[in-house]
Amino acid sequence: MKRIDLSRDTLTLGSFGGKVFVLSGVLGLAGLGVSFGLKSIAGNDAFMKSWLFAFLAVLAICLGALFFTILQHLVKAGWSVAVRRLSEGIAANLVWIWVLFIPIFVLMVSGNGGHLFPWAAPEAAHDHLLHEKSSYLNITFWWIRAVVFFAVWALLSRFYFGLSRRQDASGDYKATNTMQWFAPLAMILYALTQTFASYDWIMSLEPKWFSTMFGVYYFAVSVTGFFSAILLLIFFLQKSGRLQEAITREHYHDLGKLLFGFGVVFWAYIGYSQYMLIWYANIPIETSWFFPRQIGPWYWVSLILIFGHFVLPFLLLVSRWPKRFKGSIAIIAGWMIIIFCVDVYWLVIPVVPESALAGAETYDQLVEAVTPASLGWQLNAVDFLLPASMLSLLLSGTMFNLRRCSLVPTSDPRLEESLSFENF
Amino acid sequence: MSALNVDNTVDDPRQRSPLVLGHTDFASVTNEICAVNEAPKPPKLWYVTLVISACLASTLLVLVGYLVVTGVGVWGNNNPVMWGFPIVNFVFWVGIGHAGTLISAILFLFRQKWRTSINRFAEAMTIFAVICAGLFPGIHIGRVWLAYWLFPIPNQMEMWPQFRSPLLWDVFAVSTYFTVSLLFWYVGMIPDLATLRDRSNNRIKAIAYGFFSLGWRGSMRHWHRYERAYLLLAALATPLVLSVHSVVSFDFAVSQLPGWHTTIFPPYFVAGAIFSGFAMVLTLAIPARQIWGLKNFITMRHLENMNKVILLTGSMVGYAYGTEFFIAWYSGELYEKFAFINRAFGQYAWAYWIMVSCNVLSPQVFWFKRARTSIWLMFIVSIFVNIGMWFERFVIVVTSLAQDFLPSSWGYYEPTWVDTMTFVGSFGLFMTLFLLFIRFLPVLAIAEIKAVMPEADPHAHHEHDPDHDHEEGHA
Amino acid sequence: MSQSSSREKIWGYAAEFTTPAAITQAAKKVAAAGYRWWDCHTPFPVHGLDIAMGVKPTILPIIVFFGGLTGTLVAIFLQVFTNSLEVNLWAIVPVIGYQFEVSGKPLISGPAFVPVMFELTVLLSALTTVGSMFLLNGLPCLYHPVLKSTKLARITDDRFYIVIEARDPKFTDEATRSFLDSLGPESIEPLEP
Repeated sequence: MKRIDLSRDTLTLGSFGGKVFVLSGVLGLAGLGVSFGLKSIAGNDAFMKSWLFAFLAVLAICLGALFFTILQHLVKAGWSVAVRRLSEGIAANLVWIWVLFIPIFVLMVSGNGGHLFPWAAPEAAHDHLLHEKSSYLNITFWWIRAVVFFAVWALLSRFYFGLSRRQDASGDYKATNTMQWFAPLAMILYALTQTFASYDWIMSLEPKWFSTMFGVYYFAVSVTGFFSAILLLIFFLQKSGRLQEAITREHYHDLGKLLFGFGVVFWAYIGYSQYMLIWYANIPIETSWFFPRQIGPWYWVSLILIFGHFVLPFLLLVSRWPKRFKGSIAIIAGWMIIIFCVDVYWLVIPVVPESALAGAETYDQLVEAVTPASLGWQLNAVDFLLPASMLSLLLSGTMFNLRRCSLVPTSDPRLEESLSFENF
Repeated sequence: MSALNVDNTVDDPRQRSPLVLGHTDFASVTNEICAVNEAPKPPKLWYVTLVISACLASTLLVLVGYLVVTGVGVWGNNNPVMWGFPIVNFVFWVGIGHAGTLISAILFLFRQKWRTSINRFAEAMTIFAVICAGLFPGIHIGRVWLAYWLFPIPNQMEMWPQFRSPLLWDVFAVSTYFTVSLLFWYVGMIPDLATLRDRSNNRIKAIAYGFFSLGWRGSMRHWHRYERAYLLLAALATPLVLSVHSVVSFDFAVSQLPGWHTTIFPPYFVAGAIFSGFAMVLTLAIPARQIWGLKNFITMRHLENMNKVILLTGSMVGYAYGTEFFIAWYSGELYEKFAFINRAFGQYAWAYWIMVSCNVLSPQVFWFKRARTSIWLMFIVSIFVNIGMWFERFVIVVTSLAQDFLPSSWGYYEPTWVDTMTFVGSFGLFMTLFLLFIRFLPVLAIAEIKAVMPEADPHAHHEHDPDHDHEEGHA
Repeated sequence: MSQSSSREKIWGYAAEFTTPAAITQAAKKVAAAGYRWWDCHTPFPVHGLDIAMGVKPTILPIIVFFGGLTGTLVAIFLQVFTNSLEVNLWAIVPVIGYQFEVSGKPLISGPAFVPVMFELTVLLSALTTVGSMFLLNGLPCLYHPVLKSTKLARITDDRFYIVIEARDPKFTDEATRSFLDSLGPESIEPLEP
């Protein structure tokens, strides 16, 4: 067994953390400010949709981090101890992430949310199907649920991050037992809130559509985002001269395997199953969700997702070596985080243009009727600026969370195991 | 030191609990496991159960013969419930067959060392369960002698199977699964067969074990490739095990029938399969470790871990039940809503509530450590789960078919005695194969168990002092 | 037995060790001494022993990748051919698949072909894995000097052996025996061919 001496390693962010915090924070806020300035280019409705997309992307990363942290305690993992603090640090952004949700919250509570969530429009009351659902899909219950979700996430992430840091100071191994004891409960809370958040904020964008798989799909999305993000974070922290000893090639390898398993294969499995079942049964109310995603330019986006989110990363990651070299895995993770954003974009933005739908009698006519003009959507600067700014804020927040603590849980009783394990 | 009384279920994060109790050298491990095969006579109970199982298996054969001669009218299948017991049993057995490969492959990839004590007979169980599973669609096709039409065999009629049908995907999925599970089981067994070969005391054994161990001689150069091959097989079997039950779920979910057509079916079926498979492993492991004295290998910690997996997968199944209900309401569709209300309160409500109480409620006792470490309680719960998972398939298959869109075409399904006895008979076939396996093949993965002992670590100190190693572990 | 062993040359020497640590230490020395035709025999895969011996990583994964790829291609061909194809091979042989419409799906339906593609990929990969592992390892092996020795039967139980074969260019009866002796084994066993 290799013995690793952490005393020579830099395990804190130091002033570097402060610099990155300020820089990425200022950049992020400036980006959001500029986006607001550009609101007129996109138009108000499209802007809010882009905002929702960017928010859901950063939220997904944080939720993935929370899931990972809880999971490590649930299964009493040893290998992951050295990277767990970083995951806790990303998850701890859930304490303030609701701030980014305020614009959507305000929009909905002010009664103008009908353009974003059709069920919130006054006309929805006259639609029979939407009226049936109104005891769940109504603004009051919607914001109560949102508050509950944010409260649960803040509580869980705070609990795991806080107790883990206190263990650093106290060195008390029993803290590990406490964290493990709460893990099953935390996992159940996580599963429920994550599922219903995905129904509330993504599935109900198309309120007549439903899919029991949807919560699982958003889970697959969130772990993709998280594993890519933590690989990049580790890579950059090591570039800055930190964690040289603590995080080894084996950790890259294992995180790469998880990215491969969950972000590539599991994602494809869930995406395929959902698509194929709806495609096969061909029930109009269900296929209505895939229509907008396979007409006009969205057809190409869907293809890019299949190849960029599955085929290409599958071929890259299936072999052992790309996962073991820092440079190659970082490039792959960088690609995955971009394609992950495309995936969230693909979930949130597409709609079938009403004008095209009005005249078309058959599917072929519909496809023909879709023109860039009738689509009511075009890619604009805000679609890039918003996610970039929010990711920047996420980095800033993570630096803030980790500013004073050690970057590895130094008193975790299984740290030794994590430092010395080897993949064979 | 006598490690027999060590409680290895204690959770101390400072050190990993021992997985093998009572042994500090390799030879005693070999002796104790091989004793199961080498005892001149197996326990009396073995003979008793074998006779009963063989009788039931013969019943199965007779009933299949009766079916072939008479036709599927001997079953309760009717219109509208054209899928009755045979498909329920098929899905049930395939589900059971998932735990073996899960333990071997997924737990292997996750470096769960405790798998070594249970993987061998979980894999054996998988193979036998898949044999039972494969039987049912085979006889369900009606004209059994045309079963070869399921395979793409060139023929003078220029007829090929319909590749867009999920029933054909099943043929490919189940036969691939059977082949890969068999390979996995056999490859894992080669070193242990060599052990039995080298210990055999008569010529028949020597030739038989010698034949199947392929001349294995423990060469490290061989081990190197062997380990890589095993890892690859595990990496292949993991998505395979997910795919098989997903494909089985597609049989239902591609239709338009409310209660069948729902997108969560693939992961939900997989979770259910693992759930039922683990329950079956427990049902078999608990008596086996008592009768053959394998308590040092299948320790309380192993059982406790399995109970945790049962609780986890049981909760996942509960999540899927809940999601289905919520979305059925949320969809606002009349038929969706009806299908689920009908399940819970319709003519098959009794089956539904057996399912919920066995699958969702009974595993909840495993939240408590007292329950997770109580042999009797876990045995009872494992049987409940087996029952509950059979009823889950019954509820899915029968309730949706019996009452679909048009009230004028509603019906009721009742199994005949042939249905029931065929199902019972399949247990006979399963148990017969399993009992023969325990008697003649290495029941535990001897080489793998040795490899997870602290003594197997090449960096350990020469004194072989496990306590000393532990101290170093958390220094 | 005595007659044949005196007539024929010795096949090699086997040195017995009792612990994984001891054989790992010894294996490093054998590798360093420049032997090539030698091997370790162990009851279970000793972690790191292959590295100590200087065994090169196996090419097995690469073979398996191509096995899997073959499976995918076979599945695509099989499904497209049987469900939709209509061609004249070399303009003389008409080949017609079983073109049959079901549920309004096109004859070539990507989503419906995926399951069989996946299953055949896994099937061929798994068969390739096991097949090439046997092939590369030379199994089944009907006869081997290591298996002949009754003392070495403990390989599959609790003993660890280093075997140096006589065909190694560095092998000489005395020198190799004394070299093995210097590694501190429990015993040294000559092996007959």
